[in-house]
Amino acid sequence: MLCQICKKRPAAISYTQIINSKKTQLSVCIKCAEEKGITNPLAGLPEVFSKIVANILGEELAAGAGEITKKTSSRRCPKCNTSLDKFEKTGLLGCDECYQTFEKELSALLRRIHGSSKHIGSRPRPRRVVSTDRDLVKWRAELEQAITKEKFERAAELRDLIRDAEREANGKNSGRSRKA
Amino acid sequence: MPNDKALEFSKTTVRNLNTLVKRMPRWLENEAPKANIVISTRVRLARNLEGHAFPNAAEKEELYAVIREVYDALASSPQLAGPMFLDMLRLGKLERKFLVERRLISPPYAESDNPAMLVVGEDECLSVMVNEEDHLRLQSIQPGLNVEEAWRLMALLDDDLGEHLDYAFTDQFGYLTACPTNTGTGMRVSLFVHLPALALLEELEKIFKKLAPSEITVRGFYGEGTEVVGNVFQISNQLTLGRTDDSIVKRMEEVGEKLVSLEDEARERVLDEQVVQIYDKVYRAIGIMKYARVLTSLELLNLLSYLRLGFDLGIFKNTDRSFLNELMVTLQPAHIQKKYRDMEDELPRDVHRAHIVREKISALF
Ligand SMILES: [Zn+2]
Ligand SMILES: [Zn+2]
Repeated sequence: MLCQICKKRPAAISYTQIINSKKTQLSVCIKCAEEKGITNPLAGLPEVFSKIVANILGEELAAGAGEITKKTSSRRCPKCNTSLDKFEKTGLLGCDECYQTFEKELSALLRRIHGSSKHIGSRPRPRRVVSTDRDLVKWRAELEQAITKEKFERAAELRDLIRDAEREANGKNSGRSRKA
Repeated sequence: MPNDKALEFSKTTVRNLNTLVKRMPRWLENEAPKANIVISTRVRLARNLEGHAFPNAAEKEELYAVIREVYDALASSPQLAGPMFLDMLRLGKLERKFLVERRLISPPYAESDNPAMLVVGEDECLSVMVNEEDHLRLQSIQPGLNVEEAWRLMALLDDDLGEHLDYAFTDQFGYLTACPTNTGTGMRVSLFVHLPALALLEELEKIFKKLAPSEITVRGFYGEGTEVVGNVFQISNQLTLGRTDDSIVKRMEEVGEKLVSLEDEARERVLDEQVVQIYDKVYRAIGIMKYARVLTSLELLNLLSYLRLGFDLGIFKNTDRSFLNELMVTLQPAHIQKKYRDMEDELPRDVHRAHIVREKISALF
């Protein structure tokens, strides 16, 4: 078998990945393995694998979201200009707004990948350092939203933040730990 | 890099790389939980900044803007304790390969020509890749099986940075990442486990199948055919969404414990049933390392696996685990080239590797 990277020398080693009992292999020659710095299992994952992941994503997306017509697949994110088409090819979204633009397709895809499309893990701590006027405006807007959406925990956090900022407590607030 | 005060860190890149070449990371150290089977534990977090395109869709200027935005947060993080900054664009191919071998960057990061900044904490247990697939990839490594400690330090760093930065996050999807396989917690826990006895008994396949329902990804090296190379496997959590951080930590700790008990039991059986063959394999490996004149990096992986096994089974005692770990890291191609280049430049690498191995092993046996 020929090396899948240089396609010239014979392969000497195969990098194997098993997901859900499904095995994927990448066979490479020693030279290419050394070239990529992957002669030690402690190092990283070779790039070729991200392409395989992208392929799986493409299939998953097609299966999860039903028929993707020419029209939907050329739809673009208004902020970063990434199209659904491109996402299928690379497996990569272009910006945070893509998650809104392609929300329907992504929800289906995420359910297929993770068995869930709802985050239940930890959330970022509200930013506490360098509170500028811009932040205050943003926080007030978010606070209003949080209250209308009845996200009271978040609203309380924001209220604290705004109060602190308004008091101009400069910089060092005592931080709360993530686990508290 | 553009002429810019915030990007001055670029100047110390070469000096910082040379410092890394000269020292050893703390995750190689001796005593750690279950270190006879789990070489190390790694936690990675993917994070992006609100309002900037992800690196795959961003222009160069925007990537510089990301670097400027995160620099202060990283420089002032108590967790990183005065980190080293490296400007990736100042590093050549060999230096990047060195960083991959050192586990500080990923292979795709090494090949990218985007503006990027690597940030390395004091003892290399914490580090951050800026502008990899996501704006930030935080990494925490601990020796042995220690998911909780790796995660504790990671969470503290994440909190440090979160105080300065607005992460891209929604209540629905959690942390937003370039690739949907990381969306949610953005968290990937990997255990690097040495399973020589299970490999000898040809039980790996069966065990990896059994792990599948626990949402685990297994990665490893095989030689031609089905023979395992080096007997080290990377075991990672597969899912990041719809799980809490703590449940991922707990699950991976359990998977680690399970593998440790299976390998422990397999080692006992191997000693019981094939004691002569095991002694033979271990001492043959030592013999080759003592006398070989040419050693490829792959052959060495197998030899080091037997050396490790010999030590862990108590066949010989005149060394320690940090020495064995050090061999695994320092005899990789770019490490050899960076560290010993001045010594005997004309020697081809495999000959050179054999030479260094010979010196190190002859001092012990
Ligand atoms: Zn090749
Ligand atoms: Zn977008």
